Amino acid sequence: MTTDQPIDRKPRPGVALLILLRRELLVELRTRSLLTSMGLFALLEIVVVGLGVRALPADETFSRFVPAVLWVCMLFAAVVGINRSALADRDKNLHAAFLLLPYDPTIIYMARLVSTFVFLSVVEAVQVVAAVPLLRFDIPREPWLLAVLALTNIGVLAPGILLASATSQARGGEALLTIMLLPVIVVVFMGAAGATDSFLGGLGFEGAQSYLLLLCICAAMFPALGLLLYGRLHEG
Amino acid sequence: MTEGSKTTFAITLVLAALGMAGAEATLWLAHFYVPVQITAGSLFVSEPPSGVNTLNLYESYRIFFVHLPSAYSTALCCGLCLVGGVLFLVTRNARYDALTVAAAETGLVAGAITLLTGSFWADFAWGTGKIGSGWNWEPRLTSMLILWLAFAALLALRNALPNVQARMKLTAVYGILVSPLYPMVQKAIEIGQVSHPRSFSDLLSAPEIGLTKVVATFGIMLVFAALVALRFAAHRFGHQLQQERAA
Repeated sequence: MTTDQPIDRKPRPGVALLILLRRELLVELRTRSLLTSMGLFALLEIVVVGLGVRALPADETFSRFVPAVLWVCMLFAAVVGINRSALADRDKNLHAAFLLLPYDPTIIYMARLVSTFVFLSVVEAVQVVAAVPLLRFDIPREPWLLAVLALTNIGVLAPGILLASATSQARGGEALLTIMLLPVIVVVFMGAAGATDSFLGGLGFEGAQSYLLLLCICAAMFPALGLLLYGRLHEG
Repeated sequence: MTEGSKTTFAITLVLAALGMAGAEATLWLAHFYVPVQITAGSLFVSEPPSGVNTLNLYESYRIFFVHLPSAYSTALCCGLCLVGGVLFLVTRNARYDALTVAAAETGLVAGAITLLTGSFWADFAWGTGKIGSGWNWEPRLTSMLILWLAFAALLALRNALPNVQARMKLTAVYGILVSPLYPMVQKAIEIGQVSHPRSFSDLLSAPEIGLTKVVATFGIMLVFAALVALRFAAHRFGHQLQQERAA
Protein backbone atom coordinates (compact mmCIF):
# COMPACT_ATOMS: atom_id res chain seq x y z
CA MET A 1 0.00 0.00 0.00
CA THR A 2 1.38 3.37 -0.96
CA THR A 3 0.43 6.79 0.24
CA ASP A 4 1.03 10.23 -1.21
CA GLN A 5 1.09 11.79 2.24
CA PRO A 6 4.59 13.07 3.11
CA ILE A 7 5.96 11.60 6.32
CA ASP A 8 6.29 14.30 8.95
CA ARG A 9 9.60 13.61 10.66
CA LYS A 10 9.57 16.79 12.69
CA PRO A 11 8.88 15.89 16.35
CA ARG A 12 6.49 17.92 18.43
CA PRO A 13 8.17 20.73 20.41
CA GLY A 14 7.61 19.04 23.80
CA VAL A 15 9.09 15.76 22.58
CA ALA A 16 12.03 17.55 20.94
CA LEU A 17 12.71 19.41 24.19
CA LEU A 18 12.68 16.16 26.17
CA ILE A 19 15.02 14.47 23.67
CA LEU A 20 17.51 17.33 23.87
CA LEU A 21 17.24 17.55 27.66
CA ARG A 22 17.87 13.82 27.96
CA ARG A 23 20.91 14.20 25.73
CA GLU A 24 22.31 17.06 27.84
CA LEU A 25 21.77 15.17 31.10
CA LEU A 26 23.24 11.93 29.75
CA VAL A 27 26.34 13.68 28.41
CA GLU A 28 26.84 15.40 31.75
CA LEU A 29 26.31 12.17 33.70
CA ARG A 30 28.98 10.48 31.58
CA THR A 31 31.56 13.28 31.42
CA ARG A 32 30.68 15.32 34.57
CA SER A 33 32.71 18.12 33.02
CA LEU A 34 30.26 20.93 33.72
CA LEU A 35 29.41 19.92 37.27
CA THR A 36 33.06 19.35 38.12
CA SER A 37 34.30 22.65 36.73
CA MET A 38 31.46 24.73 38.22
CA GLY A 39 31.51 22.92 41.56
CA LEU A 40 35.27 23.07 42.00
CA PHE A 41 35.36 26.72 41.01
CA ALA A 42 32.59 27.53 43.51
CA LEU A 43 34.35 25.61 46.31
CA LEU A 44 37.68 27.26 45.55
CA GLU A 45 36.02 30.67 45.73
CA ILE A 46 34.59 29.82 49.15
CA VAL A 47 37.97 28.58 50.39
CA VAL A 48 39.72 31.75 49.16
CA VAL A 49 37.09 34.02 50.74
CA GLY A 50 37.13 31.90 53.92
CA LEU A 51 40.88 32.37 54.20
CA GLY A 52 40.50 36.11 53.68
CA VAL A 53 37.88 36.55 56.40
CA ARG A 54 39.03 33.90 58.88
CA ALA A 55 40.07 36.46 61.47
CA LEU A 56 36.76 38.36 61.44
CA PRO A 57 34.47 37.95 64.48
CA ALA A 58 31.25 35.96 63.90
CA ASP A 59 28.98 38.90 64.67
CA GLU A 60 25.83 40.18 62.95
CA THR A 61 27.79 42.09 60.30
CA PHE A 62 29.63 38.91 59.36
CA SER A 63 26.40 36.88 59.12
CA ARG A 64 24.97 39.53 56.74
CA PHE A 65 28.20 39.51 54.73
CA VAL A 66 28.30 35.74 54.05
CA PRO A 67 25.14 35.55 51.86
CA ALA A 68 26.53 38.35 49.67
CA VAL A 69 29.75 36.37 49.26
CA LEU A 70 27.72 33.29 48.35
CA TRP A 71 25.85 35.23 45.67
CA VAL A 72 29.12 36.40 44.15
CA CYS A 73 30.44 32.81 44.17
CA MET A 74 27.22 31.56 42.55
CA LEU A 75 27.32 34.27 39.90
CA PHE A 76 30.88 33.41 38.89
CA ALA A 77 30.18 29.67 39.01
CA ALA A 78 27.29 30.26 36.59
CA VAL A 79 29.56 32.23 34.26
CA VAL A 80 32.13 29.42 34.39
CA GLY A 81 29.40 26.88 33.59
CA ILE A 82 28.05 28.84 30.63
CA ASN A 83 31.59 29.37 29.33
CA ARG A 84 32.50 25.73 29.75
CA SER A 85 29.43 24.50 27.89
CA ALA A 86 29.96 27.04 25.05
CA LEU A 87 33.60 25.89 24.75
CA ALA A 88 32.58 22.23 24.57
CA ASP A 89 30.11 23.09 21.81
CA ARG A 90 32.75 25.03 19.89
CA ASP A 91 35.41 22.31 20.18
CA LYS A 92 33.12 19.62 18.82
CA ASN A 93 31.26 21.99 16.49
CA LEU A 94 28.10 20.83 18.24
CA HIS A 95 26.27 24.05 17.74
CA ALA A 96 26.26 23.72 13.97
CA ALA A 97 25.20 20.07 14.35
CA PHE A 98 22.31 21.04 16.65
CA LEU A 99 21.08 23.58 14.15
CA LEU A 100 20.89 20.88 11.48
CA LEU A 101 18.35 18.99 13.59
CA PRO A 102 14.73 19.30 12.44
CA TYR A 103 13.89 21.27 15.59
CA ASP A 104 13.04 24.88 16.06
CA PRO A 105 16.20 26.68 17.33
CA THR A 106 14.23 28.00 20.31
CA ILE A 107 13.88 24.40 21.55
CA ILE A 108 17.67 24.03 21.49
CA TYR A 109 17.90 27.24 23.53
CA MET A 110 15.23 26.05 25.96
CA ALA A 111 16.91 22.65 26.45
CA ARG A 112 20.25 24.32 27.16
CA LEU A 113 18.59 26.72 29.59
CA VAL A 114 16.77 24.00 31.54
CA SER A 115 19.76 21.64 31.70
CA THR A 116 22.17 24.39 32.83
CA PHE A 117 19.57 25.48 35.41
CA VAL A 118 19.56 21.95 36.85
CA PHE A 119 23.38 21.77 36.96
CA LEU A 120 23.69 25.20 38.52
CA SER A 121 21.10 24.32 41.17
CA VAL A 122 23.09 21.20 42.11
CA VAL A 123 26.29 23.24 42.38
CA GLU A 124 24.54 25.87 44.52
CA ALA A 125 23.25 23.21 46.91
CA VAL A 126 26.80 21.88 47.36
CA GLN A 127 28.10 25.41 47.76
CA VAL A 128 25.62 26.30 50.50
CA VAL A 129 26.46 23.11 52.41
CA ALA A 130 30.20 23.83 52.05
CA ALA A 131 29.67 27.37 53.33
CA VAL A 132 28.30 26.09 56.65
CA PRO A 133 31.69 25.05 58.09
CA LEU A 134 33.98 27.15 55.86
CA LEU A 135 32.20 30.50 56.21
CA ARG A 136 30.33 29.80 59.47
CA PHE A 137 27.11 30.11 57.46
CA ASP A 138 23.81 29.53 59.20
CA ILE A 139 21.35 28.21 56.57
CA PRO A 140 18.29 30.49 56.78
CA ARG A 141 14.85 28.89 57.28
CA GLU A 142 13.15 31.16 54.77
CA PRO A 143 11.31 29.35 51.94
CA TRP A 144 11.11 32.55 49.87
CA LEU A 145 14.88 32.37 49.40
CA LEU A 146 14.35 29.29 47.21
CA ALA A 147 12.20 31.41 44.91
CA VAL A 148 14.91 34.10 44.91
CA LEU A 149 17.47 31.44 44.00
CA ALA A 150 15.38 30.01 41.16
CA LEU A 151 14.56 33.45 39.71
CA THR A 152 18.20 34.51 39.93
CA ASN A 153 19.37 31.36 38.16
CA ILE A 154 16.93 31.96 35.30
CA GLY A 155 17.84 35.66 35.10
CA VAL A 156 21.55 34.84 34.90
CA LEU A 157 21.42 31.82 32.60
CA ALA A 158 18.95 33.13 30.01
CA PRO A 159 21.10 36.01 28.67
CA GLY A 160 24.26 33.97 29.32
CA ILE A 161 23.27 31.11 27.02
CA LEU A 162 22.16 33.55 24.33
CA LEU A 163 25.41 35.52 24.45
CA ALA A 164 27.51 32.34 24.70
CA SER A 165 26.12 31.12 21.40
CA ALA A 166 26.89 34.50 19.83
CA THR A 167 30.45 34.73 21.14
CA SER A 168 31.55 31.09 20.91
CA GLN A 169 33.27 31.66 17.56
CA ALA A 170 35.14 34.78 18.69
CA ARG A 171 38.82 35.13 19.52
CA GLY A 172 39.07 34.78 23.31
CA GLY A 173 35.36 33.98 23.47
CA GLU A 174 35.49 33.09 27.19
CA ALA A 175 36.74 36.51 28.25
CA LEU A 176 34.40 38.17 25.77
CA LEU A 177 31.37 36.36 27.18
CA THR A 178 32.26 37.16 30.79
CA ILE A 179 32.77 40.86 30.12
CA MET A 180 29.61 41.19 28.01
CA LEU A 181 27.45 39.14 30.35
CA LEU A 182 28.34 40.68 33.71
CA PRO A 183 26.87 44.17 33.08
CA VAL A 184 23.61 42.57 31.95
CA ILE A 185 23.27 40.19 34.90
CA VAL A 186 24.43 42.59 37.59
CA VAL A 187 20.82 43.85 37.61
CA VAL A 188 19.72 40.33 38.57
CA PHE A 189 22.44 40.22 41.22
CA MET A 190 21.17 43.53 42.59
CA GLY A 191 17.69 42.04 42.99
CA ALA A 192 19.02 38.81 44.53
CA ALA A 193 21.30 40.55 47.02
CA GLY A 194 18.58 43.07 47.97
CA ALA A 195 15.92 40.40 48.48
CA THR A 196 18.27 38.19 50.52
CA ASP A 197 19.29 41.13 52.67
CA SER A 198 15.64 42.04 53.29
CA PHE A 199 14.70 38.46 54.29
CA LEU A 200 17.73 37.95 56.51
CA GLY A 201 17.33 41.42 58.00
CA GLY A 202 13.85 40.42 59.23
CA LEU A 203 11.96 42.71 56.84
CA GLY A 204 10.07 39.74 55.37
CA PHE A 205 8.12 39.65 52.14
CA GLU A 206 7.04 43.28 52.43
CA GLY A 207 10.61 44.50 52.57
CA ALA A 208 11.76 42.29 49.72
CA GLN A 209 8.76 42.93 47.47
CA SER A 210 10.37 45.43 45.13
CA TYR A 211 13.52 43.29 44.77
CA LEU A 212 11.36 40.23 44.04
CA LEU A 213 9.51 42.23 41.40
CA LEU A 214 12.84 43.15 39.79
CA LEU A 215 13.86 39.48 39.81
CA CYS A 216 10.51 38.41 38.33
CA ILE A 217 10.86 40.99 35.53
CA CYS A 218 14.39 39.75 34.73
CA ALA A 219 13.37 36.08 34.94
CA ALA A 220 10.51 36.70 32.51
CA MET A 221 12.16 39.21 30.18
CA PHE A 222 15.55 37.55 29.57
CA PRO A 223 14.20 34.09 28.59
CA ALA A 224 11.57 35.79 26.39
CA LEU A 225 14.30 37.79 24.65
CA GLY A 226 16.40 34.64 24.37
CA LEU A 227 13.56 32.74 22.70
CA LEU A 228 12.91 35.62 20.32
CA LEU A 229 16.54 36.25 19.39
CA TYR A 230 18.14 32.81 19.40
CA GLY A 231 16.58 31.76 16.08
CA ARG A 232 17.41 35.12 14.48
CA LEU A 233 20.98 34.85 15.66
CA HIS A 234 21.49 31.53 13.91
CA GLU A 235 19.62 32.24 10.73
CA GLY A 236 21.69 31.66 7.61
CA MET B 1 28.69 61.93 -2.47
CA THR B 2 25.52 59.78 -2.74
CA GLU B 3 22.01 61.11 -2.17
CA GLY B 4 21.79 59.20 1.16
CA SER B 5 25.11 60.64 2.37
CA LYS B 6 23.98 64.16 1.48
CA THR B 7 20.79 63.72 3.53
CA THR B 8 22.72 62.32 6.52
CA PHE B 9 25.21 65.21 6.27
CA ALA B 10 22.39 67.78 6.14
CA ILE B 11 20.60 66.21 9.14
CA THR B 12 23.86 66.11 11.14
CA LEU B 13 24.59 69.75 10.32
CA VAL B 14 21.12 70.95 11.33
CA LEU B 15 21.16 68.91 14.57
CA ALA B 16 24.66 70.16 15.41
CA ALA B 17 23.73 73.82 14.80
CA LEU B 18 20.56 73.54 16.87
CA GLY B 19 22.38 71.60 19.57
CA MET B 20 25.15 74.16 19.84
CA ALA B 21 22.62 76.98 20.13
CA GLY B 22 20.66 75.00 22.72
CA ALA B 23 23.75 74.13 24.76
CA GLU B 24 24.92 77.76 24.74
CA ALA B 25 21.46 78.91 25.83
CA THR B 26 21.45 76.28 28.60
CA LEU B 27 24.80 77.41 29.96
CA TRP B 28 23.75 81.04 29.92
CA LEU B 29 20.37 80.38 31.55
CA ALA B 30 21.85 78.02 34.17
CA HIS B 31 24.43 80.58 35.24
CA PHE B 32 22.73 83.95 34.87
CA TYR B 33 18.97 83.37 34.82
CA VAL B 34 17.99 80.77 37.43
CA PRO B 35 18.02 81.84 41.09
CA VAL B 36 19.67 80.04 44.00
CA GLN B 37 16.82 77.74 44.95
CA ILE B 38 17.92 75.11 47.40
CA THR B 39 18.22 75.78 51.07
CA ALA B 40 19.55 73.54 53.81
CA GLY B 41 17.08 70.90 55.00
CA SER B 42 14.98 71.01 51.85
CA LEU B 43 14.35 67.73 50.06
CA PHE B 44 17.49 65.85 49.26
CA VAL B 45 20.13 68.32 50.37
CA SER B 46 21.15 67.20 53.83
CA GLU B 47 22.60 69.49 56.43
CA PRO B 48 26.32 69.55 55.69
CA PRO B 49 28.52 68.30 58.53
CA SER B 50 30.26 71.06 60.37
CA GLY B 51 33.69 71.98 59.18
CA VAL B 52 32.93 71.20 55.54
CA ASN B 53 33.29 74.01 53.09
CA THR B 54 29.74 74.61 51.90
CA LEU B 55 30.52 77.74 49.94
CA ASN B 56 29.09 76.41 46.67
CA LEU B 57 26.67 73.76 47.92
CA TYR B 58 23.49 75.75 47.32
CA GLU B 59 24.60 76.84 43.89
CA SER B 60 25.50 73.28 42.96
CA TYR B 61 22.06 72.33 41.65
CA ARG B 62 22.92 74.22 38.44
CA ILE B 63 24.81 71.10 37.41
CA PHE B 64 21.42 69.37 36.99
CA PHE B 65 20.84 71.29 33.80
CA VAL B 66 23.61 69.17 32.30
CA HIS B 67 23.04 66.03 34.39
CA LEU B 68 19.35 65.52 33.58
CA PRO B 69 19.50 66.01 29.77
CA SER B 70 22.55 63.71 29.69
CA ALA B 71 20.50 61.02 31.47
CA TYR B 72 17.64 61.54 28.98
CA SER B 73 20.18 61.24 26.14
CA THR B 74 21.41 57.95 27.59
CA ALA B 75 17.79 56.77 27.50
CA LEU B 76 17.52 57.93 23.90
CA CYS B 77 20.67 55.97 23.02
CA CYS B 78 19.26 52.86 24.73
CA GLY B 79 16.11 53.20 22.65
CA LEU B 80 18.15 53.62 19.47
CA CYS B 81 20.18 50.50 20.35
CA LEU B 82 16.90 48.57 20.61
CA VAL B 83 15.55 49.98 17.33
CA GLY B 84 18.86 49.40 15.51
CA GLY B 85 19.21 45.87 16.89
CA VAL B 86 15.66 44.79 16.01
CA LEU B 87 15.79 46.35 12.54
CA PHE B 88 19.14 44.72 11.82
CA LEU B 89 17.92 41.25 12.82
CA VAL B 90 14.79 41.71 10.70
CA THR B 91 16.35 43.27 7.58
CA ARG B 92 20.09 42.38 7.83
CA ASN B 93 20.84 45.87 6.53
CA ALA B 94 24.26 47.15 7.66
CA ARG B 95 22.92 50.67 8.22
CA TYR B 96 21.08 49.46 11.32
CA ASP B 97 24.29 48.00 12.70
CA ALA B 98 25.83 51.45 12.20
CA LEU B 99 22.88 52.96 14.09
CA THR B 100 23.32 50.57 17.05
CA VAL B 101 27.05 51.25 17.28
CA ALA B 102 26.59 55.03 16.92
CA ALA B 103 23.95 54.97 19.67
CA ALA B 104 26.18 52.87 21.96
CA GLU B 105 29.14 55.24 21.43
CA THR B 106 27.03 58.30 22.19
CA GLY B 107 25.37 56.50 25.11
CA LEU B 108 28.82 55.87 26.54
CA VAL B 109 29.63 59.60 26.45
CA ALA B 110 26.19 60.68 27.72
CA GLY B 111 26.28 58.05 30.48
CA ALA B 112 29.76 59.16 31.56
CA ILE B 113 28.60 62.79 31.79
CA THR B 114 25.51 61.72 33.78
CA LEU B 115 27.62 59.70 36.22
CA LEU B 116 30.31 62.35 36.60
CA THR B 117 27.97 65.33 37.05
CA GLY B 118 25.82 63.32 39.47
CA SER B 119 28.86 62.22 41.47
CA PHE B 120 30.34 65.74 41.64
CA TRP B 121 27.07 67.04 43.02
CA ALA B 122 26.51 64.11 45.38
CA ASP B 123 30.00 64.47 46.87
CA PHE B 124 28.89 67.85 48.24
CA ALA B 125 25.19 67.16 48.84
CA TRP B 126 25.36 63.68 50.35
CA GLY B 127 29.02 63.24 51.17
CA THR B 128 31.75 65.22 52.84
CA GLY B 129 32.98 67.04 49.76
CA LYS B 130 35.75 64.50 49.23
CA ILE B 131 35.80 62.81 45.81
CA GLY B 132 33.77 59.59 45.98
CA SER B 133 32.16 60.34 49.34
CA GLY B 134 28.74 60.78 47.71
CA TRP B 135 28.73 57.42 45.98
CA ASN B 136 26.41 55.29 48.14
CA TRP B 137 25.67 52.27 45.90
CA GLU B 138 22.02 53.13 45.66
CA PRO B 139 20.14 51.13 42.99
CA ARG B 140 19.80 54.09 40.61
CA LEU B 141 23.48 55.02 40.77
CA THR B 142 24.55 51.41 40.46
CA SER B 143 22.21 50.60 37.59
CA MET B 144 23.41 53.67 35.66
CA LEU B 145 27.00 52.51 36.14
CA ILE B 146 26.01 49.04 34.92
CA LEU B 147 24.41 50.53 31.83
CA TRP B 148 27.58 52.51 31.13
CA LEU B 149 29.68 49.35 31.54
CA ALA B 150 27.36 47.50 29.13
CA PHE B 151 27.90 50.18 26.45
CA ALA B 152 31.65 49.99 27.07
CA ALA B 153 31.63 46.17 26.83
CA LEU B 154 29.73 46.27 23.54
CA LEU B 155 32.12 48.74 21.96
CA ALA B 156 35.31 47.24 23.34
CA LEU B 157 34.55 43.68 22.39
CA ARG B 158 32.55 43.65 19.18
CA ASN B 159 35.77 43.73 17.17
CA ALA B 160 36.83 40.39 18.69
CA LEU B 161 34.59 38.68 16.15
CA PRO B 162 36.48 38.39 12.86
CA ASN B 163 33.39 37.57 10.80
CA VAL B 164 31.55 40.79 9.90
CA GLN B 165 28.09 39.20 9.83
CA ALA B 166 28.65 37.48 13.19
CA ARG B 167 29.89 40.79 14.62
CA MET B 168 26.79 42.62 13.41
CA LYS B 169 24.50 39.91 14.84
CA LEU B 170 26.27 40.05 18.22
CA THR B 171 25.98 43.85 18.24
CA ALA B 172 22.27 43.65 17.45
CA VAL B 173 21.56 41.03 20.13
CA TYR B 174 23.59 42.89 22.75
CA GLY B 175 21.94 46.18 21.77
CA ILE B 176 18.55 44.59 22.44
CA LEU B 177 19.71 43.04 25.74
CA VAL B 178 21.13 46.37 26.93
CA SER B 179 18.02 48.40 26.12
CA PRO B 180 15.83 47.20 29.05
CA LEU B 181 18.55 48.36 31.44
CA TYR B 182 17.48 52.00 31.15
CA PRO B 183 13.86 51.41 32.23
CA MET B 184 15.41 49.54 35.16
CA VAL B 185 17.56 52.58 35.96
CA GLN B 186 14.36 54.60 35.87
CA LYS B 187 12.50 52.15 38.12
CA ALA B 188 15.47 51.67 40.46
CA ILE B 189 14.37 54.80 42.29
CA GLU B 190 11.53 52.78 43.82
CA ILE B 191 13.86 50.13 45.22
CA GLY B 192 15.84 50.26 48.42
CA GLN B 193 17.04 53.33 50.26
CA VAL B 194 16.85 56.44 48.14
CA SER B 195 18.77 59.68 48.38
CA HIS B 196 18.38 60.39 44.69
CA PRO B 197 15.50 62.81 43.98
CA ARG B 198 12.46 61.18 42.41
CA SER B 199 12.06 63.90 39.85
CA PHE B 200 13.48 67.26 38.96
CA SER B 201 10.17 68.89 39.81
CA ASP B 202 10.87 68.11 43.49
CA LEU B 203 13.01 71.19 43.60
CA LEU B 204 11.14 73.34 41.14
CA SER B 205 9.13 76.23 42.34
CA ALA B 206 10.66 79.16 40.50
CA PRO B 207 9.37 79.45 36.91
CA GLU B 208 12.91 80.33 35.77
CA ILE B 209 14.02 76.82 36.68
CA GLY B 210 11.19 75.22 34.70
CA LEU B 211 12.05 77.21 31.57
CA THR B 212 15.76 76.46 31.91
CA LYS B 213 15.02 72.76 32.33
CA VAL B 214 13.01 72.69 29.08
CA VAL B 215 15.71 74.56 27.14
CA ALA B 216 18.44 72.34 28.64
CA THR B 217 16.54 69.14 27.87
CA PHE B 218 16.05 69.98 24.21
CA GLY B 219 19.37 71.79 23.70
CA ILE B 220 21.64 69.14 25.17
CA MET B 221 19.67 66.23 23.76
CA LEU B 222 20.11 67.81 20.33
CA VAL B 223 23.87 67.86 20.88
CA PHE B 224 23.81 64.12 21.57
CA ALA B 225 21.43 63.50 18.66
CA ALA B 226 23.95 65.29 16.42
CA LEU B 227 26.70 63.06 17.82
CA VAL B 228 24.65 59.95 17.00
CA ALA B 229 24.07 61.25 13.45
CA LEU B 230 27.79 62.06 13.04
CA ARG B 231 28.94 58.63 14.23
CA PHE B 232 26.23 56.96 12.16
CA ALA B 233 27.52 58.74 9.03
CA ALA B 234 31.12 57.77 9.90
CA HIS B 235 30.19 54.09 10.29
CA ARG B 236 28.16 54.10 7.08
CA PHE B 237 31.13 55.64 5.27
CA GLY B 238 33.37 52.95 6.78
CA HIS B 239 31.06 50.18 5.56
CA GLN B 240 30.97 51.65 2.06
CA LEU B 241 34.75 51.94 2.00
CA GLN B 242 35.13 48.30 3.05
CA GLN B 243 32.69 47.18 0.35
CA GLU B 244 34.53 49.17 -2.34
CA ARG B 245 37.87 47.73 -1.23
CA ALA B 246 36.43 44.20 -1.30
CA ALA B 247 35.06 44.80 -4.81
